[in-house]
Amino acid sequence: MDIRTLEEMPISERKAYALKKVKGLQDKLNASITIIEDDEVKADGKLMGIPVALKDNISTKGIKTTAASDILDNYVPVYDATIVKKLKEAGAIFVSKTSMDELAMGGTNRTANIGPCHNPYDLDRITGGSSGGSAALVAAGAVPLAIGSDTGDSVRKPAAYCGIVGVKPSYGRISRYGIIPYASSLDHVGYFTTNVEDAALALEVLAGRDDLDMTSSYEEVLEYSKLLDANVKGRRLAIFGNVYDAISDSSIKEAFDKIIVSLEDKGAIIKKVYFDGDLMKCLFPTYFIIANAEATANHSNLDGVRFGHRIDGDSMEDVMMATRTRGFSSFIKKRFVIGSYSLFEENQERLLKKAQRVRRLIVEAVLNELKEVDALLAPASGSIAPRLDDPSSDELSDEYLIAENHMVIGNFGGLPSMTLPMGFKDDLPIGINITCNAFKEEEMFDIALAIEDITGLKGHVKEVL
Amino acid sequence: MEYEIIVGLEIHTELNTKTKMFSGAPYHFKAEANTCTNEVDLAHPGTLPCVNHEAVKKAIELCTALDLSIDPLVRFDRKNYYYSDLPKGYQITQQFHPIGKDGKLQIDDDGIKKIIRIDRIHMEEDTAKQFHLYDETLIDFNRAGVPLVEIVSKPDIRSGKEAALYVEKLRQTLTYLDVSCAKMEEGSMRCDVNISLRPKGSDVFGTKVEIKNLNSIANIKDAIEYEANRQKEILDDGGHIDQETRRFDEKTMTTVTMRKKEGSVDYKFFPEPNIFPILISQEEIDHIVSEMPELPDVKEHRYIEVYGLSTYDASQLIANKELALYFDEMMKSSIDPKAACNILVSELVGQLTKRGEDITSTKVQAKDLARLVELISKGDISSKQGKEVLSVMLDGDDPDKIIEERGLKQLSDTSAIEKLVEEVLDENPTSIEDYKNGKDRALGFLVGQLMKKSKGQANPKMASDMLKDKLAKR
Repeated sequence: MDIRTLEEMPISERKAYALKKVKGLQDKLNASITIIEDDEVKADGKLMGIPVALKDNISTKGIKTTAASDILDNYVPVYDATIVKKLKEAGAIFVSKTSMDELAMGGTNRTANIGPCHNPYDLDRITGGSSGGSAALVAAGAVPLAIGSDTGDSVRKPAAYCGIVGVKPSYGRISRYGIIPYASSLDHVGYFTTNVEDAALALEVLAGRDDLDMTSSYEEVLEYSKLLDANVKGRRLAIFGNVYDAISDSSIKEAFDKIIVSLEDKGAIIKKVYFDGDLMKCLFPTYFIIANAEATANHSNLDGVRFGHRIDGDSMEDVMMATRTRGFSSFIKKRFVIGSYSLFEENQERLLKKAQRVRRLIVEAVLNELKEVDALLAPASGSIAPRLDDPSSDELSDEYLIAENHMVIGNFGGLPSMTLPMGFKDDLPIGINITCNAFKEEEMFDIALAIEDITGLKGHVKEVL
Repeated sequence: MEYEIIVGLEIHTELNTKTKMFSGAPYHFKAEANTCTNEVDLAHPGTLPCVNHEAVKKAIELCTALDLSIDPLVRFDRKNYYYSDLPKGYQITQQFHPIGKDGKLQIDDDGIKKIIRIDRIHMEEDTAKQFHLYDETLIDFNRAGVPLVEIVSKPDIRSGKEAALYVEKLRQTLTYLDVSCAKMEEGSMRCDVNISLRPKGSDVFGTKVEIKNLNSIANIKDAIEYEANRQKEILDDGGHIDQETRRFDEKTMTTVTMRKKEGSVDYKFFPEPNIFPILISQEEIDHIVSEMPELPDVKEHRYIEVYGLSTYDASQLIANKELALYFDEMMKSSIDPKAACNILVSELVGQLTKRGEDITSTKVQAKDLARLVELISKGDISSKQGKEVLSVMLDGDDPDKIIEERGLKQLSDTSAIEKLVEEVLDENPTSIEDYKNGKDRALGFLVGQLMKKSKGQANPKMASDMLKDKLAKR
C-alpha cells in the first residue's frame, strides 16, 4: 500500500480501510500493542487522511505508550512527541501503536512484553527489531507509513527482513523529543514505507529543527519528493568490501551483484572499498558498550515514583527497587548491568571511553572514504529473516560481527542510511543498504530510486492470508 | 596544642531565572506544590533537556564578579544516582568542565583584608523537595530543575567568623548582581562546610569532616566553632578524627554524625549526550560583562573617591543594596553627596523604620528626596523645616507641593526683608541704642522680632546680615 494509491480512495474511507487491516492482522502478526480507533483527521496537509502507525516508544498524549515494557504498561503520556504534532499537522491519522523489542533494546522483536511479532512473509520468522511491529504493518499493506526508531539498525534491519523501505536520516534531521530513548547519542527517528517516493515525502513532514531537542539541526528541509531523480550517471558508488566478503550466502551476493551491474550500466562509477578489518570487528562491541551505558542512565527515570507501573513498598527506596525489579525483563536488566559496569569509575577508561575512541576512529575512516564517493552500498544482512525459534547466531564470527552489524556505522556517524528491497531468497525478502554523507538525504533517495527501478519492487507488499 | 582551623565552603545557590535550568516551566518559591512543573521536570519518558540561556548568562556574570576564568565551551555531564527527589535518576551538572575556575573573593575582617580563593563554579539543577511524614512521603517537584550554581572555595578560611564574612560577602555579590535571591532562610542558598584541624605551623591537612546543609550565616559560624573545638579535644586526647558527614543541631548548638564515609560514592559521571557543547563567543561574553550591574566594592570605592563620603557613610549605604541603588538614583540630580547620604540614612530610614516601612516599600521617590536636599541647601527652607516636609512626603507628596501648601518657603527676597528690617528698626529705637553701645544681644532680639513679623519665613542669615548693615547706617 502506497500513499498515491490510498489518495485515490475517499478520505473518509482511508482510516476504516487501514483499521480493518490492522485489526485483521493482529492475530497473525501481533504487530500492535494499542489499536487507535477514535483518531480524527484534524488538518489538511501532505498526509491528509493517511493512516500511520507509530512505534510504541513514541509519546502520544492520552494514548497509552508502553515501549513494550511491563514497567510502562499503564503509562498514558501527558504530551505529544514533536513528530506526532508534525504528523497531525500534516493530516495523518494514527491507527496503531506498534510492537517493538522492550525499550527498543533488541534486534528481533522477540522481547516485546506482548510476545513476538511475526513476519508477514512467514509467520514462523522474526520481523527483526526493534521496530518490528511498524515494519510488519507496512509490509502487510495495512498502512503506507509507519514510524520507528533506529539506534543500531532497528529500522533498516526489519525493513530488509520484511521487504520494504526503511529510512534512518542524519542525526538531528528529525526531532527526538518525545521518543522514549535507548541511547541518546545513537538514537534516530526512522520510518518505513513501501516505496522511495513515499519515503522522500515522509521526510518532508518529519524533518526540521525543534527547540525542544537541542541536538536537532537547523539544516534546511528540502522538498525531497519533488527533487527525486533516478539518473545515476556519474554517481560514485562504493561497495562495502568487508561486508560483502563476510557474507557466506551466495544467493544474497548474487542479488547484490545484479543490482551493482545494473547501476554500472546506468552510468554509475563503481568501486569496492575496504576498511581496517580489526575496526570492523569492533562495530558490535563498541555499539554495545556505548548504547548500554547511555541506556542505563536514560532509563533511571523509570522508578514508579511519578508514572508507570508502581510496585508498592515500605519506603521510597523499596518502591523504586520493587518497581524496577518487577518492571524490566531479565534481558533488559542484563543490559543495564553491562551499561552500569562500563560506567563505573574504575572501568570507564578501558570500556566506555575506549569505545568512544573506537567509534571516532570508525567514523573518521568512513567519512574519509565518503569524501571520494557518494554512497556506500552493501547487503543489509547476510541472511533472510531468522526463524522465531532459531538459536542465536555465532556472535564471534566475522559474518555476525561485520555483515550483521555494519549498519550501526550510520548511527555512529549520524549518517543518513536506508534499506530497500533487492529481491527474494526462498520467497523471503532481502535488502540492500545505502549510506551517504550527513544531510545528503536527497542523494540517498536518488540512488534508492535508481535501485527501485532496477528491482521493480516499488510498492510491493505481502498479502497475509 | 595550638591548631590551625582549615575550612572550605561549598555553597549552592539558586539562580533567579524565570524558568528552569533545562525546561520552560516557571518557578516561584511561594507557588502551590507541584504547580511549577512540566513533563521535562518530571522526567517523563522521551523528554529532553534544553539549556536556559539566561542561567548561563547569570553564571558568567557571577564568574566575572568573582574573578574566575570562564570556559567559553559550556558542557554538561550526568551524575547518576537513584533517589526519589531526583526525577531523571541523574542530575545534569558540570563535573568535568565547570563554567568558571580559579577566582577569589576579598573579605574585610575588622579592617584586615583577606583573599579567599574560589576553586570552581559550576551550573546544575536542583532536586525536588521531600516531606517525610509519619508513614508517607510527599514530594513537591516545583524545585526540581531549578537552576543552581555551586561555588566551591579553596580551604582558605581559618575561623567561623571568616566563614561568616565570606558567606555574607558572597550573598552581597549575588544580590547586587541580581543573579540569585540568596535567601538561606528559604533554602535558595545552602552551605556545606568542610573542616579540619592541623597543628600550627604544619602544612599537612588533617582528616576533614563535612557539615551539611547549614541554613543561616549564624549557624555556619557556630557550627565551625563547635566542630573546631570538638576536633581539638579529640586530638588533644590523642584520638583521631573520623572522616564523616555531620549536621548542625540548632537546639543543642552541636554537630552530630549523619553518616560515616565508607569509601566515596561512584556517581558514574559521563558527558550528557543530549546537550552538545555550546560555544559562547568572546563578543557575547563581553556583552554580558558590559551590562553587569556595579559591584559593591566598586560602588563603595566610588562613593569615597568621587563623592567624598566617609568610609563609614559609604559602608552604611553599601550594606543594603536597595539603599545604595536609592542613593544612586538621588545622585542623578547633582546635589551634595554628604547631605544626600545624611538625609537618606539618618532621616528617611529612621522615619521609615518608625512606620514599619523600608526603602523598597516607601512612597518617597528618590528624585523627590533629592529635591528636598536641594531646597535645604539653597536655603529655601531650613533643615528643621526639611524634617517637617519629609514627614509629609512619606505619604507620597512631592516637596515643592508640600512647601507651597504649608507656606513654608523661607523669605529670601531682599526687598521684602529690607522692608521688614526698616519696620523693626523703626519700632525698636532702644535696641538700636543698646547695639551701638556694644550689647550684642540686641541683634539677636531684633532678628527674633523680624522672624516673628515674617511668621518664621524669613531667611535668618539674610535677616541678620541685613540688620547689621542697616544698624551701621543709622
